[in-house]
Amino acid sequence: MTQLLLFNITNGLIIGAFYVLMALGLSLILNLSGIINFAHGGFLAIGGYFAFTLTPYIGFWGALLVAPLLTAVLGLAIERVLIRRLYGRDPLYSLLLTFGLAFIFQDVTRFIWGAQGLPVSVPAFMGQPLSLDFFFITGYRLFMVSVVAVAVTLLFVLLRYTRVGIRIRAGTLDLDTVAALGINVRALRTLNFAVGIFLAGLSGVLAGGQLGLEPTMGDGLLMPSFIAIIVGGVGSLTGTLLGGLLIGVASGVTSVFFPSASEAVMYVMMAAVLLVRPRGLFGEEGMMT
Amino acid sequence: MSLLEVRQVSKSFGSLAAVRDVSIAVEKGELRAVIGPNGAGKTTFFNLISGFFPPTAGSIVFDGVDITSTPVHRRVLLGMARTFQITEIFPELSVAENVRISAEVAAGYRLRPWLGRAEAAALRARVDEVLGLTGLAAKADRLVGELAHGDQRAAEIAMALALKPRLLLLDEPTAGMGDQETYEITQLVRRLHRNGNLTIVLIEHDMRVVFHLADRITVLDQGRLLAEGNPREIAANKAVQAAYLGKVA
Amino acid sequence: MSVASLPAARRVARRPLALALVWLVLLAAPYWMPFLGGYTALGTRVLVLGLAAMSLNFLLGFTGVLSFGHAAYFGLGAYGAGLALKFLTASTPLALILGTLVGGIAGALLGALIVRRRGVYFAMVTIAFGQVFYYIAFRWSSVTGGDDGLRGFSRQPLHLGAVTVDILGNAEAFYYFVLVCFAIAVALMAFLLRSPFGRTLLAIRENERRARFLGIPVELHIWLAFVISCVFISLAGGLDALLNNFANPHELHYSQSGDLVIMAVMGGMRSFWGPLLGAALFVVLQDYVSSLTTNWMSFIGLLFVVVVLLFPRGLLGFLQRGSDK
Repeated sequence: MTQLLLFNITNGLIIGAFYVLMALGLSLILNLSGIINFAHGGFLAIGGYFAFTLTPYIGFWGALLVAPLLTAVLGLAIERVLIRRLYGRDPLYSLLLTFGLAFIFQDVTRFIWGAQGLPVSVPAFMGQPLSLDFFFITGYRLFMVSVVAVAVTLLFVLLRYTRVGIRIRAGTLDLDTVAALGINVRALRTLNFAVGIFLAGLSGVLAGGQLGLEPTMGDGLLMPSFIAIIVGGVGSLTGTLLGGLLIGVASGVTSVFFPSASEAVMYVMMAAVLLVRPRGLFGEEGMMT
Repeated sequence: MSLLEVRQVSKSFGSLAAVRDVSIAVEKGELRAVIGPNGAGKTTFFNLISGFFPPTAGSIVFDGVDITSTPVHRRVLLGMARTFQITEIFPELSVAENVRISAEVAAGYRLRPWLGRAEAAALRARVDEVLGLTGLAAKADRLVGELAHGDQRAAEIAMALALKPRLLLLDEPTAGMGDQETYEITQLVRRLHRNGNLTIVLIEHDMRVVFHLADRITVLDQGRLLAEGNPREIAANKAVQAAYLGKVA
Repeated sequence: MSVASLPAARRVARRPLALALVWLVLLAAPYWMPFLGGYTALGTRVLVLGLAAMSLNFLLGFTGVLSFGHAAYFGLGAYGAGLALKFLTASTPLALILGTLVGGIAGALLGALIVRRRGVYFAMVTIAFGQVFYYIAFRWSSVTGGDDGLRGFSRQPLHLGAVTVDILGNAEAFYYFVLVCFAIAVALMAFLLRSPFGRTLLAIRENERRARFLGIPVELHIWLAFVISCVFISLAGGLDALLNNFANPHELHYSQSGDLVIMAVMGGMRSFWGPLLGAALFVVLQDYVSSLTTNWMSFIGLLFVVVVLLFPRGLLGFLQRGSDK
């Protein structure tokens, strides 16, 4: 029994790691620019599809690096051309914009790559389970978790120790003051957005290897990302990180006892957090409220 | 018994002590000015009195009732109305509509799905009365958002008046105004004070306004109570002069 | 929103002529629609979605609250009415009332949980909660029929004493039934918006801080507005289920919520009838575009983008601005 529980907790952590990668990108954009990027799932899918298209030319590892970069560039372009116009306005409009973009992305990916699921090939050594006891831990899943760990570490390092990172964090707390200090806030927002989209693209590449590709693949990850942010606390990246892991684990553990409720438990957790500690586990009172 | 008693109130934001151990007592019918150099904590003090946030220490008593933990909207219903340094109004509604909403809440109609004819008439009369008092009758149907700064401020005061307050808190009512507008607002406040059975506390930077209107003056400096007295006393007070002069760069 | 950027936004005066025109158009719809290539059921659909959009706008345009998960209550109304007809009663009006109750109660409970949040955070939470119901509609397939939706019920003819109105077989009869429900709902909404209570909602929209400092208990009033809008939107949902004799789980998805919001925005958020106009435009456009191309989703997405960038005040807002010059 304990082995089964351990099995599911670990499985949950792996799933959670994945939610974290997606949610962090979403959180970054939300915190600095106050925008809920509904198109995040679309960027995820595009990242996966880019990798698929690039792999024959630059191999799996090349695609792993380049596809997210390309996705980030796309994100950058969209931020500059479209999203930027809406910063001063009622948040309603940016919501609607990213909403519309999500529709467009889904349709365009379907148009370019077809509606059928596409298989993605990963390096052979990753396909093997690492042990017979923990058969769900394939090399690929471990690889995924490592990539997430590296990406998250790099992100936190970026935010803590680089000038850009510090500016982003300061901007999250008080963008007016940052602007008054003479920092180019528009460029900052664009860069921040691009980083967030990079993470989305990376999620897409990883997801592709695990689940295959299809135009709606990002949808199913958007809600867990929302919940991770709400549970962890709006405005806190650490919160998002822990929130993602928490709901992953909760989901994993629940699948032991109530398999059909493993998705529902995320929503129950969210409701509980809203009742007991509405600002989230690590949220600050007054952030976004 | 004083209308408003602030007892040893302090407010800190983290390590920043904005208000330290300040006590004042405002009598019914008084017009009190709160002055002090920039950063003295005047607006924070107002925020404490009006319930914007709770004090870190101390208590606030209004007409004998301890309101320290009473939420904002309840304080308003108890008779405390406030205006803000940056005018807070309903920009896309007309002056009359702004005042009307105020009057409706004050009359206890806020949850009402409809108004009887007599009630509506009484309300209209009240709105007209307030508009007359504040000199806005001619502009009643203009959108508040489009008015000149001085008129917007007068509209905000009108909204506060419509609440039939016992205590009126005015946060820098002449901020950002030229001489003419300052004069008009000052006259308005004086009229309201004289005619209206109103206790007024105002924060002001413009010393002409302060000395023209105030019965008593409270001086804050760096969050503390520096001095209190009538205008003559305060004008002659060396410590007050030093506090102001010391701030001149 | 800065005041300087707003055109003089006069509220649509209760011009009796305009109002009469609106009702005339609605009353005569089954007769003029065929001339434009339409058909009665399409008109009914516009009414239903128009009511849904107007209910949402009670919260969005008039109280200034960003609810993005309202499709869930629409769906609850639909499933509620459908299940009632399937298992509980043969009375169509009763089924409608039950559906409305379900949606209203859910709105009351969830509203209480989220009413302290604001802005994008509030929007996120409404979406997430909305998705709970979507998920339930899918998973609880023994009751809801899962992906296939709820079937096995249909609207029943109305027995009004001596007269039986066949709203099942007769599309026109059903249209007028829906129009009556629509009229009652809309009249109630207008009544509420023009009351002192309605004005407190406007106050909250215009300046929440000022509203609070006037003595308005903001959270309570937002909750009330939330419940009211949920009640009306679940009525719309019930009518939708009756229209199709079918309840569709996809109508609870947050993308449907987004559609409702764009209808309200497109028609004009600040105007009472705007969302109805927006719904009509949206339904017609969607119908038309999806018959032309399989890439209709891109066009809908493009519509969102264009409206947001170029017509944020919606069609009626745009026209009003023109008339003020």
